[in-house]
Amino acid sequence: MTKTQLASISDHNFEQCLKCSICTVYCPVAAVNPAYPGPKQAGPDGERYRLKDPKFYDEALKMCLNCKRCEVACPSDVRIADLIQQARMKHHSHRPKLRDMMLASTDLVGSLATVVAPVTNFSLGLKPVKAVMDTVMAIDKHRTFPAYASQKFETWFRKNAEKRQNEFAHHVSYFHGCYVNYNFPQLGQDLVTVMNALGYGVHLLEKEKCCGVALIANGMYNQARKQGETNMASMRKSINQQSRPVITTSSTCTFTMRDEYPELLGVNNDGVRNHLSLATRFIFNLVDEGKVKLAFRHDFKMRVAYHTACHMQRMGWAIFSTELLRMIPGLELIELDQNCCGISGTYGFKKENYETSQAIGAKLFSDIDAAKPDFVSTDCETCKWQIEMSTGVKVLNPISILAQALDIEKTRQLNGVN
Amino acid sequence: MKFDTIIMGGGLSGLTCGIALAKKGRRVAIVAGGQNTLHFYSGSMELLGSVDDQDVTHPIEAIAALNENHPYSKIGAQHIASLAQQAQALLADAGIKTTGDASCNHYRITPMGVTKPAWLTLDGLATTSHPDALPWKKVCLVNLEGFIDYPIDFVAHGLRNLGAQVETPTVSLECLKQARRSATEMRATNLAKVFTNTSNVARLADAINTACNDTEAVLIPAVLGYDNDDACNLLKAQVKAPLYFLATLPPAVTGVRINAALKHYFQMLGGRFLMGDSVENVVIDGDKVTHINTTKLQAMSLQAEQYVLATGSFMSRGLVADFERIYEPLMNLDTDAPQDREQWSKYGMMGDQPYMSCGVVTDKDFHPLKDGSPLANVYAIGQVLGGHNPITMGDGTGVSMLTALAVANAINS
Ligand code: SF4
Ligand code: SF4
Repeated sequence: MTKTQLASISDHNFEQCLKCSICTVYCPVAAVNPAYPGPKQAGPDGERYRLKDPKFYDEALKMCLNCKRCEVACPSDVRIADLIQQARMKHHSHRPKLRDMMLASTDLVGSLATVVAPVTNFSLGLKPVKAVMDTVMAIDKHRTFPAYASQKFETWFRKNAEKRQNEFAHHVSYFHGCYVNYNFPQLGQDLVTVMNALGYGVHLLEKEKCCGVALIANGMYNQARKQGETNMASMRKSINQQSRPVITTSSTCTFTMRDEYPELLGVNNDGVRNHLSLATRFIFNLVDEGKVKLAFRHDFKMRVAYHTACHMQRMGWAIFSTELLRMIPGLELIELDQNCCGISGTYGFKKENYETSQAIGAKLFSDIDAAKPDFVSTDCETCKWQIEMSTGVKVLNPISILAQALDIEKTRQLNGVN
Repeated sequence: MKFDTIIMGGGLSGLTCGIALAKKGRRVAIVAGGQNTLHFYSGSMELLGSVDDQDVTHPIEAIAALNENHPYSKIGAQHIASLAQQAQALLADAGIKTTGDASCNHYRITPMGVTKPAWLTLDGLATTSHPDALPWKKVCLVNLEGFIDYPIDFVAHGLRNLGAQVETPTVSLECLKQARRSATEMRATNLAKVFTNTSNVARLADAINTACNDTEAVLIPAVLGYDNDDACNLLKAQVKAPLYFLATLPPAVTGVRINAALKHYFQMLGGRFLMGDSVENVVIDGDKVTHINTTKLQAMSLQAEQYVLATGSFMSRGLVADFERIYEPLMNLDTDAPQDREQWSKYGMMGDQPYMSCGVVTDKDFHPLKDGSPLANVYAIGQVLGGHNPITMGDGTGVSMLTALAVANAINS
């Protein structure tokens, strides 16, 4: 007998599927929307047909949230969601609608909105405006839009923090993302506080563009690719020329730039991927290696329910955030069961998805109600909008909790910061 | 990152071991690469179902006669009864109520309509105490329109062979008409999601009450109770005749529920569950593992005092077969697989296949052997173990839970 074994390697591990249907059990969309065929059918099963003839492409694939929960569940490591996204990319022909373009262009809309934040926030909240959005733009009227801050994070940073960053012994670059820049600069400020206390100066990248997650979701791949290239160029400069690793506070941006760039968009992130990390992971590693020390306030008390965002789960990094939170004395941590919140970036903002979106989140919302936490914590900004809107419980990024719990003065001393 | 114990594999044995350890306050991490074979579970657990092609009635007695390589023999026949009780109690603590007794098997009804010996069965499922008879003379076997994972003709045929008069009405519900839009996905777990809505359960109860008159029992495929058994109990309360569930083809709602309950309980006890991550590298120095690395945590290594291998059998990739050999992929542990590939299988796919009883070799304390000597801080549990055969002996779930508990008890003391 000849003993040769050929490795059959297909795109996204497609041929490894053993048809167990476990992925479909965990798809949040298939659970509530019967029109969606589910990951097995839309992914590996459908791919067999599509390879034969593109006419088998099913428009229902655009209902996929790209949450990757199917991939996490698959016992055979089939990259189901990648298969689905790739099929969309290849076969989807429609031009994105104005609404999709608007939701997708987070930094364009963000920069317009920040200038006129009070007006935007006011008008986004008004009933007639919501009604117009509902009918003309098909953005669901139940949505509260995340408020726009009156001052961008970058502006705050340049005015208040930039000057002293060079005084530190170590340095990182911070990819703040659109959300911190336009909607919630406080998180960026918290990050600067924490990193400075650990002896790290924080710097902006030479050029930062939206990571492109919303562009990918809305089918604007070329634009996403362009922005990806810009980000990678800036990060290479930071890593190679300035010896500054890059940290972020958003699990979705991180996941997109580490994994979706090469897998989906074909944007090369060699040399960057291993130096691009979520701040909680970066800090946990420093503590674990004994390179920094944390001192906590004695009067800090908080009951926190941690929600693992979909992309955080796909990265497998929730453990860094939860272990960091567990280091805080006085913090009581409840890990919520893994369920999708239903927003998935811009998906839940669309009128046609509103009901699906809320139905998907229902289990998570009732678990949060039952846990009665002071705060929910998660590493994803869109989960934050969704959970705050749907449960009324305030959501904090672990970094913001850390900023509150740390005895900043003592931590600075422990880490030799003057 | 440091733990007391790291368990590689998040299926039934890994979770059982993790819970037993976390309960005693140990810091435990489970690394689970994807979901597990619990999703194929019928809702019954087996301790020992068959020896030499004969059904086993009294498992504890039969275990005493097994050969020395069987994992039960390593545990010691005298410990089986108490471990079996500990297993049932652990399930109950996690919210999974079962009926059954290790000293005497009862019979479950398979999705093919035949009876098989079982040790524990989830409350609410149909069982019988005798292999050739049912507790009812007249049953109404309900099917749901469009449901694809239930070969109802087989089941009806099987029940008739057991002497029952069987009616097989099909109920059609508006809420399922919606679900039928994806006809290929009319599976038990998808239906269970439809029945998390209490008004849909009420509609189902109405339809059953209309379809089943004058019957001793209503039997319905287990398509309710995804997160917990609330929907099952609600349906039982609303259906007039006594109602029992029958196991379906996988993915099985019963297995999904057991999996979710165990995982939730483990995390509630403070256990760390690394979902969707897999062990990539196990570093061995002498007779000890010093640390492991995972695909997702990359350079950050994980360290522990003990490491438990609970990676399962071939399907879960705890064992791998290529053209040359059968091997254990993480540590290249010794296996009892025959060298000669011809001996792995026999003619007749459904028969007794030798490869099904292949696995890693351990000493009597479940330390696996590598190049002939045991690894001192490593234990192997569950389906990765050799010397037993879940298909022909009906000992799969029992070996998973009991070896997990034997090892956890050893670590805890
Ligand atoms: S979970 Fe993985 S192996 Fe199973 S059907 Fe889905 S893609 Fe295939
Ligand atoms: S990525 Fe999410 S929404 Fe898409 S098929 Fe997978 S589980 Fe379903």
